[in-house]
Amino acid sequence: MGWDRFLVLWCAVWSVLALTGYGMSLAGVTKAQRTVRLTGRIERVRPPRHGGSRTGGISVVVTYRDPASGQQVTVTNDGERGEMITVAWEGREVGLSHPPGRPHAYRFSNTPQEPSRGLGRPSFALFMVYVGLVVLASIDWGWPYALIGFGGAWALSGAAYLPGAVRDKNRRIERLAAMDTVPGRVIAVLKDVGVDEDGDTWTTITPVVSFTTREGTAVTAHCTSNLPDPAGAYGRDVTVHYTPTDPADFTLDPAAEHRSRERDVMFHVLMCVVLVATAVTGAALL
Amino acid sequence: MNSRTPTAAGLSLGFMTGAVIGASLTAFIGGCVIGRTPLIVTGLVLPASYGLLLLLATLPRRAREAAVVPRTALAVIESREAFRGEASDVPVRFELSVAPDDTPAFRVEIRQDVNLVELPDYRPRGIVVVEYPPDRPWKTRIVKRPTPEWEDRAAVAQVDSVPGPAMTSQSPEGCFGGLLTLLGLLLGTAAVLLLFRADLFDSHDAEGGAPRPSVSSSSSSSSSTITVTSATGTVALGPGQSMLDKGQLREAVESLTQGADSRRALTVVVQDRLLTVVFSPAGVQSTEFDPRSLPYDRVPELVEEAGTALGVGSPRSWQLTAEDVSGSLRLTIMVTGGGGTGTLQADGQGNVLRRSGS
Repeated sequence: MGWDRFLVLWCAVWSVLALTGYGMSLAGVTKAQRTVRLTGRIERVRPPRHGGSRTGGISVVVTYRDPASGQQVTVTNDGERGEMITVAWEGREVGLSHPPGRPHAYRFSNTPQEPSRGLGRPSFALFMVYVGLVVLASIDWGWPYALIGFGGAWALSGAAYLPGAVRDKNRRIERLAAMDTVPGRVIAVLKDVGVDEDGDTWTTITPVVSFTTREGTAVTAHCTSNLPDPAGAYGRDVTVHYTPTDPADFTLDPAAEHRSRERDVMFHVLMCVVLVATAVTGAALL
Repeated sequence: MNSRTPTAAGLSLGFMTGAVIGASLTAFIGGCVIGRTPLIVTGLVLPASYGLLLLLATLPRRAREAAVVPRTALAVIESREAFRGEASDVPVRFELSVAPDDTPAFRVEIRQDVNLVELPDYRPRGIVVVEYPPDRPWKTRIVKRPTPEWEDRAAVAQVDSVPGPAMTSQSPEGCFGGLLTLLGLLLGTAAVLLLFRADLFDSHDAEGGAPRPSVSSSSSSSSSTITVTSATGTVALGPGQSMLDKGQLREAVESLTQGADSRRALTVVVQDRLLTVVFSPAGVQSTEFDPRSLPYDRVPELVEEAGTALGVGSPRSWQLTAEDVSGSLRLTIMVTGGGGTGTLQADGQGNVLRRSGS
């Protein structure tokens, strides 16, 4: 019995899983579709302790109205609670979600979330079918089909997303140009040290900046980029550029951000070119 | 009940997990070594299926546990022992007296990671807020970021110590469970080795003291399958190919003798899609010959001659046997067809010596 039969079986199993997933999504019974999504409000931001851990994000107290009882519920981001809150101010709206009937298993997201259709898992299953088909083609018809199958498909998807990426970059650059500037200060530097399985230690340094917007909102935020010598940044005065409508969108160096966006698009284009070249090489080798 | 003992189900689960890990690893590695696809696939599918089965089997229990609303309470730290390491979060063993509002107080021992900077907040006799599932109080957890209401209560409350031994989630027979898992691992490995011993070792009980030849190499491609043992070498061609194709026979012989220049043969047998070389054991020098010395380029002509000149009709099969019996190399070609069988004998250079037909 050769690889062919197992690959056909592989594709068949993943196809069934993908179809089941899409069917469940159409019927509206996926886990993501049944999740209760709410909007909470940050009531209190607890100041981070210098030298502490970034795990768990900025400590916040959040209230939300329980749709079942209509009562106001107060929760904190203690333990494993979904997304890490990295930017916080009193009055900020954050997303809260929990499985139906289990409000105690709540999870946070940095922004209130739109209902999801739960297509992640079936799409993953479909991707597995695609991988199986490409491997099958490269075994049966010759290995250049692997180059065509992977390079071609990814090049097409990269090209399809390119206009969106360029639009995003332009929008981001416009926002960077319209930013307000206020003074801020590094109020803590968080330090996480861990040991990986090889016994080597790793260290993550996370400076925390605090700034007050022109509207008087006191923002506390993790700031991991564009700050030189982050380990020795405690107490340093910085200039913060932020978007007035959303202080969560801030940077210490708009010029660097500008350059990094340009680089991202360049990288995107380069990847597309490499993938097209891969597919063309495959076709030429046939 | 102050401690939880491992259940029979828990122990057998550990044993099964060990067995699956051992069996699948052995199957995968063994399959890779001998190049057998079903064995490799078994090595991959077995742990995946076991994991899926385990997931489905534990689904009801996990759903039940997840549905339990955790209870919040105040507790007093009776004792604390931190295990220092290089990481900034260190494991700490706490002994707590938990005083829920509406149920009896209890004493529990837990382990929880605490950041070094926050460690001074958890001094013995300090009051903390804890959370626990009411049906599994040994799963108590210190709430590091309590709500303002509980924070205020903890700041002013007094909690009395609870006498007596503490509940713990540590199993006193953890060592036994580990041994059982290891045993499962070994048995799983042994089971696969035993089931596939013929393929993996290619050796059976040596009956009569005659050792079996061992496969020194085996390879296959879409076009041919080559097997070389200490005693014989065979090349089987794939469909649509013939030993009579130009250069095919010489190539097949070269593939059997490469890397062993001095290997000599006792007999070479060629059929339309099969070549077999019986290698000479040491010390039989009088009848051995170099398998590469045969006049392979003449073979298609000789086969054709044996078939047509002898009038066997359309040839259905043919066989060439090369042996050195009387001190000089002899090729015997036998062709069978609709009209009978034709035999032709030639010398080591491919010159026809004798023909006969029936």
